[in-house]
Amino acid sequence: MNLLRASLYLCGLVLVGCASSPFETESVGTARDKPQAPGEGPTVTTPPVITGPTPEAEPSVEVPMPLPPPRERPRAPPATLSPASKALVSQAQGQRKRGDLPGAAVSLDRALRIEPNNPLLWIELGRLRMDQGNFPQAEGMGRKALSMSIGDDGTQAQAWQLIGESFRARGRNTQAEEALARARELAPL
Amino acid sequence: MARRKLTRRVRRQLQRGAVVVILLLLLAALIAVFSLDRRVTAQFEGRRWTLPARVYAQPIDLYVGQTLSAERLGFELDRLGYLALRAANRPGTYRRRGQRVEVYVRAFRFSDELQPARLLKLGFEGDRIAALVDATGVDIPVYRLDPLLIGSIFPVHGEDRIVVSPDQVPAMLPEALKAVEDRKFDQHHGVNFSAILRALFANVRAGQVEQGGSTLTQQLVKNYFLDSRRTLRRKIEEAVMAVILEARFEKADIMNAYINEIYLGQDGQRAVHGFGLASQFYFGKPLSELELHEVALMVAIVRGPSYYDPRRHPERALERRNLVLKLLAGQGVIAVDDARSASARPLGITEPSRQGTGYYPAFLDLVRRQLRADYKEEDLTEAGLVVFSTLDPLLQNRAERALTAELERLEKSGRKGAKGLEGVIVATSPQTGEVTAIVGGRQASFDGFNRALDARRPIGSLAKPMVYLAALETGEYSPVSYLADEPVEVKLPNGDTWRPANFTKEVNGPVPMVRALTQSLNLATVNLGLEVGLERVADTYAQLGLEKKPNAYPSMLLGAANLTPLEVAQMYNTLANGGFRSRLRAVRAVLDEQNKPLKAPELEVEQVADADAIYVLDRMLIEVMNRGTGRPARKDLSQNLVVAGKTGTSNDYRDSWFAGFSGSHLLIVWVGHDDNSPTGLTGSTGALAAWSRLMGSIDTSSFEPLMPESLENRWVDYFTGEETSPYCSGVALSLPFPVDAPLPPSTICPPYSDEGDWPMIQPWAEPTDPRASPSQQDAIISKPET
Repeated sequence: MNLLRASLYLCGLVLVGCASSPFETESVGTARDKPQAPGEGPTVTTPPVITGPTPEAEPSVEVPMPLPPPRERPRAPPATLSPASKALVSQAQGQRKRGDLPGAAVSLDRALRIEPNNPLLWIELGRLRMDQGNFPQAEGMGRKALSMSIGDDGTQAQAWQLIGESFRARGRNTQAEEALARARELAPL
Repeated sequence: MARRKLTRRVRRQLQRGAVVVILLLLLAALIAVFSLDRRVTAQFEGRRWTLPARVYAQPIDLYVGQTLSAERLGFELDRLGYLALRAANRPGTYRRRGQRVEVYVRAFRFSDELQPARLLKLGFEGDRIAALVDATGVDIPVYRLDPLLIGSIFPVHGEDRIVVSPDQVPAMLPEALKAVEDRKFDQHHGVNFSAILRALFANVRAGQVEQGGSTLTQQLVKNYFLDSRRTLRRKIEEAVMAVILEARFEKADIMNAYINEIYLGQDGQRAVHGFGLASQFYFGKPLSELELHEVALMVAIVRGPSYYDPRRHPERALERRNLVLKLLAGQGVIAVDDARSASARPLGITEPSRQGTGYYPAFLDLVRRQLRADYKEEDLTEAGLVVFSTLDPLLQNRAERALTAELERLEKSGRKGAKGLEGVIVATSPQTGEVTAIVGGRQASFDGFNRALDARRPIGSLAKPMVYLAALETGEYSPVSYLADEPVEVKLPNGDTWRPANFTKEVNGPVPMVRALTQSLNLATVNLGLEVGLERVADTYAQLGLEKKPNAYPSMLLGAANLTPLEVAQMYNTLANGGFRSRLRAVRAVLDEQNKPLKAPELEVEQVADADAIYVLDRMLIEVMNRGTGRPARKDLSQNLVVAGKTGTSNDYRDSWFAGFSGSHLLIVWVGHDDNSPTGLTGSTGALAAWSRLMGSIDTSSFEPLMPESLENRWVDYFTGEETSPYCSGVALSLPFPVDAPLPPSTICPPYSDEGDWPMIQPWAEPTDPRASPSQQDAIISKPET
């Protein structure tokens, strides 16, 4: 039972310490690996266990401690569209311009069946929902795109832009500003 | 004299009376004819057949990179009624030579556009499309095949039809109809008296009503305006109406109405009317593409759709078809040679299972119920709507086969309780929430009771992920948090005491959360659920998409909530979709009769669960498949396919469940008895087998969600929850934790091991606990659960 209590306590501690937003984790830390598929087999480096306070909480003035190398956020290549979904997206864009919103929805539905994991398609669908005046769903699509573009700043910026616009359209200006600031931060002009 | 005068007066009066009576009779007849005329004209002029909504499956999109072999495409084209020829020279034909296919795609009115007919050339590499060009060699990025018609929403015992315009009718059909049914059609005025006399004579000789001298117009009148009673009055009415119709309308109009009206067969409760639907019903292709022998068969069927039913009485149908062909040749409508070669052809009707009309009742039922949210019943059964559904016919067929095969296998095993098992499969596409297949039972057909939508059963351990998600969302638990797998007693409001037990009756003491879920430990789960709070767990059900929150009773933690397979699919779809809830939908688009888009459910996503919590839960559900109760499925799946899932068994083995997903398919399987008697099956031994058979037979992708940036993978010991090295064979498990989480290091196999030539560990390698006794190890693998 002691073990149980101890581990619960430790876990709680950690979770409190890491409750910050995923976008503020670009701080100093240890290098970490991030295999995406579980069970990809062992990786070459095993991260050391940090049992004490985190490095930044240890300001040492007199004895310069060698800081661990900055943790790299894993980078993902920018998302791209396959030729088939590209054709469907441009068809949808044409349909949107003509005001044929149901038609655009069909084209994007088709593209999503081809590439359901492509965040760019979810962003397109979110833009269509904006045109349709369905702002909560535009936000939903933006968030879905975020979950599919971790490590791809350019795409994340587009998703935050969409989310920001959906907030603004609903008059939620503070949240809109936050989201748009994130977009700018991820893709500086 | 006076007497003579009197008789004359009487006679005159009588004459006058007769004239008056005749005049009155004439007037009455005139009024009758006039009212009939009004009725006939009004009804025929504004003629709108009540058109049941037509439901299509999702179309196959052709594009480079699509997983589709040349063979598979050929099969799909056959099913769509495409004709394999030496050259694809007209819409509805194709040619396949090894890895090359040329297909002349039919024109089709989709919900967004009229896609024109087009000749496409495809090249294949393995089971993928490698090239897609048009006739001139220009690349085509993407093109749709016309979708499979899967059924209609017709009223009970109702008529179903597909209306065709004259340009969709092969020229041979009206000619053949005239030749066989009504030779004088082009000349008569609605009634052919010599034919009636001939028929009358034949009937008198036969002593009963055998032959009808009806013209096509009379047949039309009978089908369209009157019921089928055969009385003299009906006959006269019919004749008068036929004459009126002929006087008022063109012959071509009458012929077209006949082609769309006439009764041509029965499909269960559905009456097949008109040649348009009959062509789909018998041959699985559009009327315009019928060949001579097929046209002849349809004309043969007109005389007696039941007597000459080509599926039930093929010999009779063949005999009459060839008689029709002979008649046509005899009258010079076709050449004698053509008649002879057509007579040599087989009937050419499709198998009922392949013709694709009305054979997905469980799915169509869902379509109908979803449409009922926006449409009135009459709109669906009469207004001629065109419905584009989300059904994937290939997946549907595989699901039907997998379920039937597994249930038969279980029955043959001779297990107690395995006789007369029923089952359900619901398949969805997790990212979009589209329902792609529903099998409602062993028999595709059902009588009103749709198990997938209506059978409410306790979900057993399918409930556990909801408990663990509720816990993870508090932020106070990780995969190695210790749970107390220890006896627990709960006082219920009614005074009883609830004493749950583990399936094996064993007690494991403190266990890491990942092991508790993987091995489906009841006591650990109940203790966790009580710690987290019943209300919070019940809220999780609603959060994941259950419309009615379950009662927050303690027994809910072990799956006492009664849910339908579709409701389970809705909740698990949210788990499979990274915590995004998409309302399950079976309909993608609806068009009205004028091809105008109408209201249809839209693709929705809403983030309803904490991204980190859902990611951690999903990773643990992968472990269920790799080393827990879902492990028996691995033998049916390709080695690298990552899937996640959970077994469920209700009390006394009454219900066997499995809910599991890959990256592109969520499949829910239920196996049990309609009378709720015990099956003797657990989730692992019953539903899981059908699940893995199906998952292993389809083209699917790994479940590989991206890890949120606030998490990182760490190697931990499955049994102790301590951090360990990946080389600690059997016990090491890679799981996500908050970045830099402090984890107690393992003393037996510490995390800092030298890099050496240790064998790579398969994630689904059998777990071996160096501390566990052999019998315990055994139990880990084979332990069934509740």
